[in-house]
Amino acid sequence: MGCNSFEYSPNQVFNQNSLKDLNAAALKKLTAATPKNDTIKVVLAGDTQRSYNEIPGLVKKVNSIDNLDLVLVAGDISEFGTLQEMDWYAKRLLEVNVPVITVIGNHDLVARGNEVYQRMFGELNFSFVYRGIKFVCHDTNSREYNFNGKVPDMEWLSKEMQPQQGVNGFIAVSHVPPFSLDFDQKLIDPYTKLFSQTDHFLASLHGHTHVYSAGPYKNSAFPYLVTGSAETSEFILVKIINDQLTYERIFY
Amino acid sequence: MNAYFTRTLTLLFILTLSFARPVQAQRFLIPDEAIMQYAGSIGYFSVGGGYELFKNKRGNLDINYGYVPESKGGELHIVTAKFAYRPFVIKISDWAKIYPFNPGVFVTYTFHKDLSFNFPSETYPKGYYYWSEAIRPHLSISNEFQFVGEEVLKKTGLKAVSIYSEFNTNDFYLVNYFQNSTALKITDIFKVGIGLRVKF
Repeated sequence: MGCNSFEYSPNQVFNQNSLKDLNAAALKKLTAATPKNDTIKVVLAGDTQRSYNEIPGLVKKVNSIDNLDLVLVAGDISEFGTLQEMDWYAKRLLEVNVPVITVIGNHDLVARGNEVYQRMFGELNFSFVYRGIKFVCHDTNSREYNFNGKVPDMEWLSKEMQPQQGVNGFIAVSHVPPFSLDFDQKLIDPYTKLFSQTDHFLASLHGHTHVYSAGPYKNSAFPYLVTGSAETSEFILVKIINDQLTYERIFY
Repeated sequence: MNAYFTRTLTLLFILTLSFARPVQAQRFLIPDEAIMQYAGSIGYFSVGGGYELFKNKRGNLDINYGYVPESKGGELHIVTAKFAYRPFVIKISDWAKIYPFNPGVFVTYTFHKDLSFNFPSETYPKGYYYWSEAIRPHLSISNEFQFVGEEVLKKTGLKAVSIYSEFNTNDFYLVNYFQNSTALKITDIFKVGIGLRVKF
């Protein structure tokens, strides 16, 4: 029993041992990394809630992939939005050899999860450029905001999708895909149109449904990739070579 | 902690609970004990009153108010109702007893703008989230070391003073534990609090 055993409330946002700013730390590590070869390899995992038994398998499989650049976890790392669950997740993911970026899911927003996530991982909407690819990570958990029309944040997204020097590909990363009923139905059109009208838009990555799916949506020229959950022990391996994107479903 | 403090605390508690009640009811409502606790998932610290239950006085009903300051995890106000039973007692001497294993249950209500009693039905389909954010049921196991003896404590006006430690878990942690019994240890889901119980 460590000091963590002296709990003040399951709803506390932090304790003296809780981790902080993990996404910023991962990005720092990513920027410092030397490119491995011409291929960018990214793992898309998601929905690890209530699946701590499965996380070591995920970590082991991910660590066995040669020249992997990055792991993206597309949300729902907790069931109840508690510090304890996010802590169990984060400590296990520290075993991954490459940087891990965690994106917010709807379950991570319940109770005080929003505050826990922001302290432990960082902003809900953020982007980064890695070797010419811009990853735009954002909150699409519209139902948690009672479909107020502000989530996903279209204004922020359109700015992020502007042509940018040094960027020759865009990848969106979020939890709820636009074809879910948990996505703000008023925003499906502007959201999918924005992606379709963005030059060099490569793919939109998601979780949430717990069921693997991959393919175009609304006649898009790029795929919407949805990973299965940790419960079914799977993720998607995305490869980008010369700005062309391919993907593969992997079980562990 | 002196007698004045415990009396004042009790008096405040009673006044809020039983204002304008008949005298009989007031007597019934006067707690048998005053309690202070550190941690244990019901506040950074909490204070409250305890009632001895049953003829053998082995049952306990405690009502606590707990507070978590901003600097200790974000501000929270928590009200707790505990029930516990002390099936075993080890008499060490005339003035000391140990209650080694006291199982119990408690319920907390946490007051915070982001914690609702119910997820609103206009936003979520039925069963979308199946729990309450504000109400948390807990299981507990405590042990208690009690100093008794009218002689020793006579001057203080107290009947007994106890120190205790209490281990608890809640529905959230249990759900995770049952689905991940290899990854999570029982010690991962039980949290500790320590406290002082003064009987008068």
